[in-house]
Amino acid sequence: MTEEVEKTPEELEEIRKKADLQYKTYSEIVWVQFKKYPQSYYSLYGVFALFVIAILAPVFSLNVPFFINVPAGVGPENMQGMHFPWLAALFDANFFEGGLDIFFNWLLFALPGAFVIYKVMVRTKTFANPREEKAFIGRYLGWAALGVFASFLAIYMFDFRQAYVDYVQLSQLDGVSSLFPPLQYSYRDVDLNAVIQDPSWQHWLGTDQQGRDVFARILYGTRISLTIGVVAVAIYTAIGLVLGGLAGYFGGRVDMLVMRLIEVMICFPTFFLILTLRGFIDDPSIFHIMVLIGITGWTRIARLVRGEFLRLKNQDFVQAAIALGLTKRKIIFRHLMPNALGPVFVAATFGVAGAILIEASLSFLGLGPATAPSWGQILTAGRQTGKIVLILAPGLAIFITVSLLNLMGEGIRDALDPKLRK
Amino acid sequence: MTTYIIKRILLMIPTLFFISCIIFFVLNLAPGRPGGGAVSAEGTQDSTSAEARESYRIFKEQFNFDKPAFFNTRYALTRGEVEGLLVTLADFNKPTCEDGKPEGCIPADQKPTSGSIIEAQDTVEDWGEYIVPHLIAIARDGDRLDVRIIAVNRLTVNAKQRLINEYNKKQSPEDRKRNQEISAENELLGSYRVAVDASKEDVDKVVNEKWVPWFETNAERWNWTFGDKMGILFGDTRFAKYWSNLIKLDFGVSHVDKRPVLEKIKERVPYTLTLNFLAVFLAYLLSIPLGVWSAYRQNSLADKIVTVALFMLYSLPSFFIGVLLLEAFAVGDPFAWFPTGEFVGKFPDWFQTDAANTDQMTTLEYMLSVGYHLTLPVFCMTYGALASLSRYARSGILDVIRADYIRTARAKGLSEPMVVIKHAVRNGMIPVLTLLGTMLPALIGGSVVIEYVFNIPGMGLFMFESIFARDYNAIMGVLLISTVLTLIGLLISDISYAVVDPRISFD
Repeated sequence: MTEEVEKTPEELEEIRKKADLQYKTYSEIVWVQFKKYPQSYYSLYGVFALFVIAILAPVFSLNVPFFINVPAGVGPENMQGMHFPWLAALFDANFFEGGLDIFFNWLLFALPGAFVIYKVMVRTKTFANPREEKAFIGRYLGWAALGVFASFLAIYMFDFRQAYVDYVQLSQLDGVSSLFPPLQYSYRDVDLNAVIQDPSWQHWLGTDQQGRDVFARILYGTRISLTIGVVAVAIYTAIGLVLGGLAGYFGGRVDMLVMRLIEVMICFPTFFLILTLRGFIDDPSIFHIMVLIGITGWTRIARLVRGEFLRLKNQDFVQAAIALGLTKRKIIFRHLMPNALGPVFVAATFGVAGAILIEASLSFLGLGPATAPSWGQILTAGRQTGKIVLILAPGLAIFITVSLLNLMGEGIRDALDPKLRK
Repeated sequence: MTTYIIKRILLMIPTLFFISCIIFFVLNLAPGRPGGGAVSAEGTQDSTSAEARESYRIFKEQFNFDKPAFFNTRYALTRGEVEGLLVTLADFNKPTCEDGKPEGCIPADQKPTSGSIIEAQDTVEDWGEYIVPHLIAIARDGDRLDVRIIAVNRLTVNAKQRLINEYNKKQSPEDRKRNQEISAENELLGSYRVAVDASKEDVDKVVNEKWVPWFETNAERWNWTFGDKMGILFGDTRFAKYWSNLIKLDFGVSHVDKRPVLEKIKERVPYTLTLNFLAVFLAYLLSIPLGVWSAYRQNSLADKIVTVALFMLYSLPSFFIGVLLLEAFAVGDPFAWFPTGEFVGKFPDWFQTDAANTDQMTTLEYMLSVGYHLTLPVFCMTYGALASLSRYARSGILDVIRADYIRTARAKGLSEPMVVIKHAVRNGMIPVLTLLGTMLPALIGGSVVIEYVFNIPGMGLFMFESIFARDYNAIMGVLLISTVLTLIGLLISDISYAVVDPRISFD
């Protein structure tokens, strides 16, 4: 009879750590695969850079100085002394008219803040093993996203407004010292003395028919394109997941109903349908455009999810889950949904590119949001004025964004299913 | 195969039914009334001008907006409901109470708002002849004189009968004769009005001498049997009118120029179809050899270059390239090789012709002119489709290239072109063919932008113009026709699927 060797807690810990190192989650495998495609891997950085540009736009271009020091006796009396108007302007609902810009401006502070808090929390906490740490990161990301969004809503509801001050003129007075962003223009800055100008050191990409700086508009247009792409796709992915999931899981009559609905929907040329629905909105904001793209684009996702559910439902692990008597909710959300999400994620990535194109076409046709600095609108200005810069700049912006997203989508698709690699 | 096609065509009927239902829902239940832009300029905004009101009423009648969407229960309206609205209208005309105005005034807080007055006026108009008996009753023995006056004047409009086939240019002689009678009566009824400040005696006189006798001779028009009521409940609604018009293939008239929508669409379909057909044809013609060529050189430098180039083309928005090409090759900065728009009419400079307009062109000249105009738009529409198609073609070939039957074909000594064309391409192109179905709707819809850039008067541009003009009937017509075209496209793609792949049998 052999004596069983008691393992010390340290040894047990050692074994567990080893097991954890070998254990790889599905997403980690996908990530390793994804890194094998350099073009897609770098395009991920490219997309990330686009988001950073969108967030940093007011640092590059705003007609409000970071600080301004007006000495006594110069300019209006209430403006004298040291001011920091840039910070206040970022949350000014008069200055940035939509919630979208204020949201991005808030991210400028909220994201670094969330990052610092994360670093501090990681320092102070100790984790038993890497898995626990990962779970913590996941939880933290969820709470941070919720916190950022909730604080944005609070700021937006607060509806901070202040009177407009022409800081550019003020800064030109004698003795006033100020520091402006590199470009002293906001995207709404109309200057009728500088209409349709060629690129110069003052206006890097020239101006449009109303004398607005095109570079600033392209910069802020990044926000619109990315938001519309992401939110519209989020809307239709949600619809597609629900309808496709219902059809795939329950089958029978529900399936037939959903499939008929999809069949009817795909007969409409999507763009025509969007145009028609757009015709009923008198003064569309970018949120209308998102919803329009969202409610017309879900068929593809729904079909994908339904197919995946049908395929997965007959697999052993799902049958086992059913046999174990798990609730429907558990089966759908813990067993079926995570396994069906891969192709949906790929379709969504390509969908973001598609949604950006649809928004650009709508704005190009003059059917987009009227005041927003959308890329399609700048292209229209280029068409009307015949200025090649006004055509090339927004066109290339759209092209770069769309191709980065498409490249990323290809990488994810190949990483999820290496068999597809050709 | 034939049974399959017949089955598919029969299945298209319920699909079409659902589609037309959805179009009806969208156009009728969406916020904002179609034609709102045109109407608010002349109608609702300016409710004081009688002429504007009348033209708005005719507009509503013409496009069936005076009818309820699904169920018409207006036969069951009561005198009280009608009187309530008339009192609102009458109250609005009363002076507001101030210090010096004690008689017949209304306190400022009880005075109806202009919003409720517009609504009341709209509702009374929409109820049309259904409320004639109530109006007569109110005019005869109403309590308030001003309400009675409004009732009488309302009667001059609401008692009018509608002309038969009013908006059809080709009326039958009987209809025309009947319409003349109706117009004569309508004109007569229109003259039975009273002044706004008429005395009680005047009103009594007009009502008792003119309206009551007229109503008694025509009373059977308002004595509805149960069958009549059911007919009204389901028949006299927007939904029913929509369907009866659809079955007659009557999309109504465009409210921009009052021409039948179908006629306008018929004029434009050839342009769109020419453009789309050329683009799809060229895309298939070029992409399949390109895909095969690049699959056969998999991972070579040439393949990589082609793949990258196609990927970039795929991400280039066509409207951007369209505007760029227009600017560079048509406007004259730096070149003016192509016309700046339109479908036909101009010729290249080097071409000698006697034709002064399109009617004088020979067929060959016409085709040349069309080709000259369509070069840039077709290029714009082709390259995107080309990019995605050849990527599919390439992966289709790669799927089959290592299959056993290809090796067998080589082993039995077939020439390489034979292997490629007969064995590899035929099997590898099935996924590419299925794309045809999904491409057609995208191309019809996608051509809005191209037609807009190059000013080609096709369906896309028509849709765009109709949306700007809020042309209800035109939007509905274009949407329906384009979905029918899409359905046909899907059918063709399914059939071609079966033709190419003998493994698929639908029987």
